[in-house]
Amino acid sequence: MPELETRCRVAVDIGGTFTDFCVFDEAAGELRTLKILSTPEAPGEEVMQGIAELDRRYGQPAAGIGFFTHGTTVGVNTVIQRRGAALALFTTREFEDVLEVARLKTPDPYDIFSRRPAPLAPRERVYGIAERVLKDGSVETPVDPADVRRAVAAAKAAGADTIVVALLHAYANPANERAVRDAILEAAPEMAVTLSSDVWPVIREYERTVTATVAGYVQRRVAAYIGSLQAALSAAGVPAEPMITKSNGGIMAAELGKTDPIAMLLSGTASGAIGAADAAARIGAPDVLSFDVGGTSADVAVVQGGKPAFGTGELVGEFPIYVPTVSVTSIGAGGGSIAWVDDFGVLKVGPESAGSAPGPACYGKGGERPTVTDAFVTMGLLGADELGYGAVRLDRAAAERAVGAIAARLSLGLSEAAESIVDVAVSGMYLEVAKLMSRRGADPRAFALLAFGGAGPMLGVLFARELGIARVIVPPTPGVLSAYGGLIADIRNDFIRTAFVDLDAGGLAALEELAAELEAQALAWLREEQGFEGEAYLGWSADMRYLGQSYEIETVIDRADIRAGRASALADAFHDEHERVYDHADAEAPVQAVNLRLTVSGAVPKPALADAAAAPGPAAPRGRAAVFLDGAVREASLYVRADLLPGQHFSGPAVVSQDDCTTVIPPGFAAEVDLRSNLILTREG
Amino acid sequence: MPIDKVTLEILKNHTRAAAESMAYTLYRTAHSTFVKETEDFTTGLTTPDGETFATPTELGATWFVGLNYGRAIGMIDDYRPGDIAMTNDPYSGFVSTHSPDMHIWKPVFHEGEIVAFSVGHIHNTDVGGAVPASLSRTLSEIHQEGVRIPPVKILEEGALNRQVLDIFLANVRAPDQNWGDLKAQIAACNTGERKVHEMIARFGRDTFREGVADLLDYAEAQARAIVRTLPNGTYPFADYMDEDSVDGRPCRMKLTVIIRDDELIFDFTGSDPQLESSLNMPTGGDERHVLLLVGMTYVLYSLDRSLYLNSGVARVCRCILPSGTMVNPVFPAAVGMRTLSCYRLHGLTFGAFAQAAPDRMAGAPGSGGPIMNVNTIDNRTGRRIMAAISPMSGGGGGRAMEDGPDGSGANQGFLKNTPTEVNEAEAGIKVLRFGLARDSAGPGLHRGGLGTELVFQAFSPNTRVTARNRDRTVFTGWGIEGGRPGAASKFIRNPGTNREVDLRNTDILTIGPGDVIHVTCGGAGGWGDPFRRDPDAVLLDWRRGWVSTEHAREAYGVVIAGGAVDIPATGALRAARPNGKANGFYDLGPERSAFEAVWTDANYDALTECLAVLPVNWRFYAKHRIFDTIEMLDPAARRGDGSEVRAAFDALRAEFPQLDTARG
Repeated sequence: MPELETRCRVAVDIGGTFTDFCVFDEAAGELRTLKILSTPEAPGEEVMQGIAELDRRYGQPAAGIGFFTHGTTVGVNTVIQRRGAALALFTTREFEDVLEVARLKTPDPYDIFSRRPAPLAPRERVYGIAERVLKDGSVETPVDPADVRRAVAAAKAAGADTIVVALLHAYANPANERAVRDAILEAAPEMAVTLSSDVWPVIREYERTVTATVAGYVQRRVAAYIGSLQAALSAAGVPAEPMITKSNGGIMAAELGKTDPIAMLLSGTASGAIGAADAAARIGAPDVLSFDVGGTSADVAVVQGGKPAFGTGELVGEFPIYVPTVSVTSIGAGGGSIAWVDDFGVLKVGPESAGSAPGPACYGKGGERPTVTDAFVTMGLLGADELGYGAVRLDRAAAERAVGAIAARLSLGLSEAAESIVDVAVSGMYLEVAKLMSRRGADPRAFALLAFGGAGPMLGVLFARELGIARVIVPPTPGVLSAYGGLIADIRNDFIRTAFVDLDAGGLAALEELAAELEAQALAWLREEQGFEGEAYLGWSADMRYLGQSYEIETVIDRADIRAGRASALADAFHDEHERVYDHADAEAPVQAVNLRLTVSGAVPKPALADAAAAPGPAAPRGRAAVFLDGAVREASLYVRADLLPGQHFSGPAVVSQDDCTTVIPPGFAAEVDLRSNLILTREG
Repeated sequence: MPIDKVTLEILKNHTRAAAESMAYTLYRTAHSTFVKETEDFTTGLTTPDGETFATPTELGATWFVGLNYGRAIGMIDDYRPGDIAMTNDPYSGFVSTHSPDMHIWKPVFHEGEIVAFSVGHIHNTDVGGAVPASLSRTLSEIHQEGVRIPPVKILEEGALNRQVLDIFLANVRAPDQNWGDLKAQIAACNTGERKVHEMIARFGRDTFREGVADLLDYAEAQARAIVRTLPNGTYPFADYMDEDSVDGRPCRMKLTVIIRDDELIFDFTGSDPQLESSLNMPTGGDERHVLLLVGMTYVLYSLDRSLYLNSGVARVCRCILPSGTMVNPVFPAAVGMRTLSCYRLHGLTFGAFAQAAPDRMAGAPGSGGPIMNVNTIDNRTGRRIMAAISPMSGGGGGRAMEDGPDGSGANQGFLKNTPTEVNEAEAGIKVLRFGLARDSAGPGLHRGGLGTELVFQAFSPNTRVTARNRDRTVFTGWGIEGGRPGAASKFIRNPGTNREVDLRNTDILTIGPGDVIHVTCGGAGGWGDPFRRDPDAVLLDWRRGWVSTEHAREAYGVVIAGGAVDIPATGALRAARPNGKANGFYDLGPERSAFEAVWTDANYDALTECLAVLPVNWRFYAKHRIFDTIEMLDPAARRGDGSEVRAAFDALRAEFPQLDTARG
């Protein structure tokens, strides 16, 4: 049916509990969504179910899917569940303890029994290779293939199926790592080999090694998963070559994920932030906190000037990875967080969560302990409808039983106890976000909050009040914003080379050489590996610092300044950035460029969403209900999201329910539906 | 009236958010690299009386939970809105504990009344004095340790006190850094002030004030509940630093922990007299001084990590601090290197608590590794390089349920290393090895953690290496419950050559091109009988390169041959037990046992008793004279009951009649 080609674009985000579909129907110019239960035991199965469901529900046949992108947690789960490869690690001899020593610091330095997590490559399968590259990239001791063969034999005997090679100064010269790889493959062609200089060639041996280790650990499983997904999509008749979302907020051909799995590990949270940034930018809110709350965690990203903040060292399970990643702070508090009372009568919420099994008491799936969701049910704010497209029905009596136990401990009424649980949960989130904002030197009151995820709109306004935020945005399909982020993301990849030069004539010549190499590498990726033919965007930056500092700041730079040898222009860019980040700069101090970075991207067509016609006026509630909010029983108006038309407005207390979430609007906040069907909640007065 | 327990938890989260925000503000805006590398700073909020009720735990030094600003606050008569006071003087108010630590505090007013103080400190890289960085073991008077600023307003109603600032900056080596860091501190205090105002707006003044008092009570109640899980009793323990001064005599710290229901008493009687080096700990005789209680806070928090950390925790303990001793020195004793004494006290505290809770505590933490700097010339650029290279840290002790963590842990979990690639790129050295030191762990059923090990080579003449906090060359970290001590730390120049030099506890030296330095941190102590350790666990350590074949045989009675455990040989060896069992609860190691064969507990107690009656300025001298006398004593004449020490003391008094009339 060739007439169906490219009729729709599909993005899928697979989470721990639910799998979200976001579909853009190009003919109708409309977004459609779908949520189904994930099948963690058979990854990919839910995708097939969803594609069938799209046809049934929306009449979108698989053959009409002209673009397919998806984010998966297969890689992350491989690490968390420790189900990855049997790794061996080859290091430079005398540096075999690199993963054990890490950067020394323990997870909780106040706890004298705190310890770092056991590495993914156990120390007994770490083998030192007699070789040495010096800091300038010169090879002092070349690799002896016989030495490598001995290590391979030992690794094989110890049961390794994957070898990670991470040698000192490989960022400056990968020759020895490559020679080791060649020797490994000659001796054992069945081995999977990961080189630190391929994964992310940056100075600092622990950071590079641990990143390569995570990559090697997940590579086989991710590749197998992508392979089976490709086959299943093809069998289902989906014509599109699948893409996958990346931790850097972009997308790439799924095929590339087979060899570059590290780039996609944290794609789920990254696409949420990308979706949030896009949704906020479309309504003129460039500075936004994205607030994605699910069952077990609240993921918060800072978006400034329409761009999400990036970070390195983001955690995959217990392990930091040092590739460019949209920075998302995960707070261990969500709808499933359990409330309890300590020995001193003080109410606590979390960090323990009922998760999706057994889930909150109100899910009726065996959970008995009170959760945040149970508190909302007890307050009368949840339960008018169903969650998750009929996947879950709410049992109010069970919620009240669970919350009742807390009420008895605190000598409070049931409703007061329920609201106390919510207030404590919100104050815990406040603590984490206050830290995040002061780390960046930003004032939350200048931000809007974009609330999404299953529990985000429920908690959003309550949380915004605590932070002093005056405006909360709830997008039309808050349950599937991460999937939406995949739909609008660009093709994108990052490249880095360590330079470690002073900004002088010699340093700039070295930078120019590296820049030319990076440019060729980036364009080859975009054109040849990715097969993208549109316009290429190149974003240049450098990690710079003052001489003597031990930390760098990534600074956006102009490629032309390198080419023209304008050292002072590069230094000025750094002084400005230092001033912005740290509130001070030293224009006299010498500057070093530690790393040169290049991001290449290619734009994919964005959904053209039409503005709806405005129908100004008060919205009509479906009904009214007694709810408990701000210490009193109040009569709240109940709305159904699908009824609300652009231009309509109403005031809290109110509850808006829709397929996959519920929005709670306390007194003092007014709601308005904008032309793109976002709910805009604004503090009154 | 106490506030309700829901509001208390919410207020707790808000006060913590305030303290953490202050810390991030300071960290973000501080100028000196030192602050960003070492995080040696604090921020916090105190009551009007100076009790800290909010403290950050994500950033900053771990030592200052419960620091009391009360005495320093009281040294300024009149506060007005916009004032900020500061001091770095270890003898004025006893809030700063060595001169590089500049503490500042700002009153927070609400309706004309002080409701809180917003406080914090930064360790300045240099505050002047006899040596760069202001710290050296060789210094003997506070005046050599840099400029001293007694409590003074640096801001008066928001206006900078330029004269005071100029005096401060005129006396330091890198004034731009100090001024930049001070501005960051002021920014952090302003953040704290704003947060207090926000909390009062959110909760109301009365709820805030009551709630703050309740937060202190809450932490105290939690701490008392933890203490109550420990058996009542008197638990004396002592530990040593190798030297009380450069090339000096051993230095004993003695602590008797007394547990009575939910109260603790820390009796420091029997600790060394005030030292003529900078290892003294300035506590001003404050029976709850924070420096004395760091180890206690570590222990209580580690036994129950729900403990909320603030000054309330300190209320469970009271210290007995004889005056004129290293834990309560009198002016003008130098105090700059109290860091080393503090480390030793942490371990000593862990050891005393181990008697009370042998199944919950661990062997000695790894110790004695230095903070290292290299100062050299880059041969390529001719530029002088001053670089902090990796701090050498040790692991945690073994304990009932598991081996100690390797490389870092216990009271050194906050340290961060410098990557080898960065050391080579920046410090003008080549690193030959960095990792865990083989055979350094204290053997045990559950062994202690391994220490870190660094071997590097220099390429330029006149390369100066400083190694602050070197120790544990002689006395090693003890094991408990049959566990053995960790290995001694090492500091060797040109190991394995005919130019080899054992540098022992040297903390500064100059090396030349081609010279190799090998440094290790001492290992942590083991827990339980190593001859009962699972042979497969020993084999795993052997395969990991952490235990040698010889050490497996000698320390664990495990015979490894052909890459496997020789089970019959192991059984036979273990049955014969050639090295005997550890005696008693602690295994203190042969060096300390040999020392204590002469310097028995009774002898050392007699020494500190005798010295306590002398004027303070005589004590260090008298200690060394008595050590000389005891050293020369005919072994047959040694009784170890204190009598030979008293005899030596009497001889000294006879030699110096002026002692009987002298006043200290």
